[in-house]
Amino acid sequence: MHGEILAEKISEVNMSHSFCHMLLILTIFVAGCSKTASPGGDSQGKDQAAETRGVVGYSALTLANPFFKVIADNMQSALAEQGYDMILVSGERDVKKQADQIDDFIVKGVSAIVLNPCDSQSIGPAIKRANEAGIPVFTNDLRYIGSDGKVVTHIATDNEQGGRLAGQAMVAELGESGGKVAILHFPQAESCQLRVMGFREIIDAHNAKADSDKIEIVAELDGGGVRDEGFAAAKDAIEANPDLAAIFAINDPSALGARAALEGVGKADQVTIIGFDGQQIGKEAIRDGKILCDPVQFPDRIGRMTVEIIIKHFSGDKVEPIILIPSELYYKVDALQDPSLKG
Amino acid sequence: MENRNASGSVVNQFLSDYGMLAVLLVLGALFATLTIKEQHPTGASAGRQVAQMIAQRQGENTQVLIVARDTREDRAFARAAAKELQALGIRVLAVVNGVPNDVRAAIEKITAGRQQIDAIVANDVTAKWSVYDRFPSVGSDKCVKPRPYIWPDFLKMSNLLGVANQTAIYAIIAIGMTMVIVSAGIDLSVGSLVALASVVSALCIRDWGGGADAGITMVVLGCAAGIAVCAAAGTFNGLMITVFGIPPFIVSLSMMMIASGLAFRLSDGRSISELPPSFLWLGGSQTLGVPNPVWLMLVLYSVAHIVMSRMVFGRYVYAIGGNKEAARLSGVPVKRMLMAVYTICGALAGLGGIVLSSQLAAGDPKFGLMYELEVIAAVVVGGASLMGGRGKVFGTLIGAFIIAVIKNGMNLTNVDPFNQRIVLGAVLLAAVLLDMLRRRR
Repeated sequence: MHGEILAEKISEVNMSHSFCHMLLILTIFVAGCSKTASPGGDSQGKDQAAETRGVVGYSALTLANPFFKVIADNMQSALAEQGYDMILVSGERDVKKQADQIDDFIVKGVSAIVLNPCDSQSIGPAIKRANEAGIPVFTNDLRYIGSDGKVVTHIATDNEQGGRLAGQAMVAELGESGGKVAILHFPQAESCQLRVMGFREIIDAHNAKADSDKIEIVAELDGGGVRDEGFAAAKDAIEANPDLAAIFAINDPSALGARAALEGVGKADQVTIIGFDGQQIGKEAIRDGKILCDPVQFPDRIGRMTVEIIIKHFSGDKVEPIILIPSELYYKVDALQDPSLKG
Repeated sequence: MENRNASGSVVNQFLSDYGMLAVLLVLGALFATLTIKEQHPTGASAGRQVAQMIAQRQGENTQVLIVARDTREDRAFARAAAKELQALGIRVLAVVNGVPNDVRAAIEKITAGRQQIDAIVANDVTAKWSVYDRFPSVGSDKCVKPRPYIWPDFLKMSNLLGVANQTAIYAIIAIGMTMVIVSAGIDLSVGSLVALASVVSALCIRDWGGGADAGITMVVLGCAAGIAVCAAAGTFNGLMITVFGIPPFIVSLSMMMIASGLAFRLSDGRSISELPPSFLWLGGSQTLGVPNPVWLMLVLYSVAHIVMSRMVFGRYVYAIGGNKEAARLSGVPVKRMLMAVYTICGALAGLGGIVLSSQLAAGDPKFGLMYELEVIAAVVVGGASLMGGRGKVFGTLIGAFIIAVIKNGMNLTNVDPFNQRIVLGAVLLAAVLLDMLRRRR
C-alpha cells in the first residue's frame, strides 16, 4: 500500500542508477520489516488502534539474555489479555540508546513505560522527561536509584530472601561437618550484593550456634557474573584453599565457570556448588548433578506482576513502590520433573 | 547544447556531492507516510472544544468532572475546559490533575455527597483509564474527549527535534572522524575518549570543583580538562602514526583500550553523578525552542565546512588523503597536518563526551560503547571514502541524520530490535557499495 507513494517519490527525483538501487534496497528493507513487526498489522490497522486500551512501551536491558525475553513474552501476553498492545525495544546495555528509546515512546504517546535501567542513575533525565509528559514509568528486575525521575513501582526478585535460601541450602549440605566456602561475587550489581548479604546472614546465624561444624567463608572473589571470569576466580580459590568444601556463585554462568575449573583440577566431587537464577543452562546443570541447587527467579511472574500493577494503577488503586517476588530452591528432583527440560 | 551539458554536469556534481540528501528526504517521506495516525490533542484549545461538545450534547443542567494528568499541557487543558464550562453555565464538580488513584478519590467524594456525574471531560489518555468502570454509576462511556486529527508521528515537532538531539553527539564526533577519514586514516578510539572525557570532567568537578555546588567557572574548567585530555590522546595517536609509521588502525585500537581502561580506573568503574545543575545546561536545555546540542552541532558543522572547503587546512587534508607522497613533495607539511587532524578528532570526541554526560547527568566509564562504529558509519553513509581524499563535512551530517532517521523511524513503526540491526548493517553496506560504484565510473 505504500508502494505507490514510493514509486512516485522515486520517479520525481531524477537520479543516477546507483541511487535508485540504494533507495530501493533501503525502502524495501524498512517497509518490509515494519510491516511484519507491527502488532497484528493487517488490513484493518486503524480499527484495531481504536479498539485497544493503549500501548505499553518496554525497553529491556538486553534481549541477548533469555531472562528478559521471558519477561517480555509474559508481559506481552498478559497485556494482550487486558486489551493493551506492547512495543518491545532493547537498550543493549547502552544508557543513551535507552534514553532515546524512551523519547521515542513519549513521541508515540504510550500509556505506560516499563524498563530495566541500563544504568541505575544516568537513566534519570529520561525518566523525568516521561514524568513531565504524564506517562507512568515502571521498572522491573533492575532498579533506578536516582532522585530526579519518579518510578511508580519496581518489581523484582527478592534477592536477599534468595540469598538466605542459598545459605539454608548450604547449611543443609555442610551443617554436619562444616567446611570452607568461597563466594563468587559480582559486587557492581545491587542485586548480587543483596544475594550475598542474605547468604552471609544465614551462615553467620549458623556459626553463632555451631562449635566444631562452623562454615567458614574463606574467600569472596569477583566472578564477573560470566563464565570465563568465574572459571578464573574459582581456580584461584581452589589454589589458595585446597580443602574447599563449597562455592556459592551469584548466578548460573559463574557457577558453571567454577564447575569447569573444578573439573580441570579434578576436584569436582569434593566441592559442592550452589548457584542462583535458574536459567536454562543452570537447570540443566542441576539435572546433571553439576550444580547442587539454585534459588530460582521467576521472570514469568515478574512480567505478569508488572502488568498486574500497571492495570491496578490505571484502575485507580494505590500501588506499592516496591514489589518483591520470592525465590524458591530448585534441586535435582525438581529438574527431573521440569517439563521445560524434557526432550 | 554546450550550455545544457554544463548544467547537466552541475546537476551531476550536486548529486554526487549531496545525493544523500535526496535519500534522507525520501526516508523522511517514507516514515511520514508509515507513521500517519490519529493524534489526540490536549492543551487549552482542546479543553474548550470538549466543553462546547458537552454543552451542545447535554445542555445546561449537566454536572461535569474534569480529568487530566499533572503535566503542563494537561493542566492548561483542564483550566480551559473549566473556564469554558462555567461560562456556558455548566457545573464543574471537581477538577483532577493527577493519576488514576486521584480520580478514584474524587469520584468517591462526589458520590458520597450524593452528586451525579453526567459527563467526564477527558483527553485521549485519561479517557482510557479503567478507573471509571469501578463505579457503576459512572463508567468510561461518560468520557467526552477532543476530536482527533490525522498527522504522522514522525513529523511531530517534538520528534524531529528529538531526532536532531539524539544525533547531535554522533554528528559532533563525526566531524573529526570525517577529517581523519579524508586524510586516509581511521580513529577507533573516539568511543573510549567519550567515556574518558565524561569521567575526567565529572571527577574534576566533583573532587576540585565542589560537586553539586560547583560554580560555573569550575564547571567550564572541568569540561575543558576533559576535552584537553582527549585532545592530548589524539595528539599521541598522531605522533605514533607520523613519527613511527604505525598504521592508524593499530594506534587507535590501542588508544581505545588505554582510554577505556583509564576511564574505568579513574572512576573505579562507577558512575559519577555529583554534578551541579549548570553542568546539565549544555545537554539538557533548549535555546529558542531548539535543544542546545543541536545548536552546538550546527555551529561546529558550519565552522568545519568553511575550514574544509575554503581554507588551506582543508585543501591540505584532501591532498594528503588523495596521495600522501605527492602532497609531501608539493610542500604540504604532512606530519604536522596529521597530528592536527587526530588532535581535532580527539578533542571533538571529548566534547561529545561532555555533551553526553550533560544529557545523562553523570560521568560514566560505560558511556560511548561502540560509538566509533556509529560515527564511522555516519561518515561512510555520508559519502566519504575510506580510501581517503574524498568526503564532505555536510555529507557526514546528512549521513548521521540518515542513520538517526532510520533508527527513529524503525522505532516508531515497531520494527523488531533484531531486524533493526540487520537494516542498519544493510544500510552501511549499501553506502560503501555506492562509494565503490562511483569510484569505478
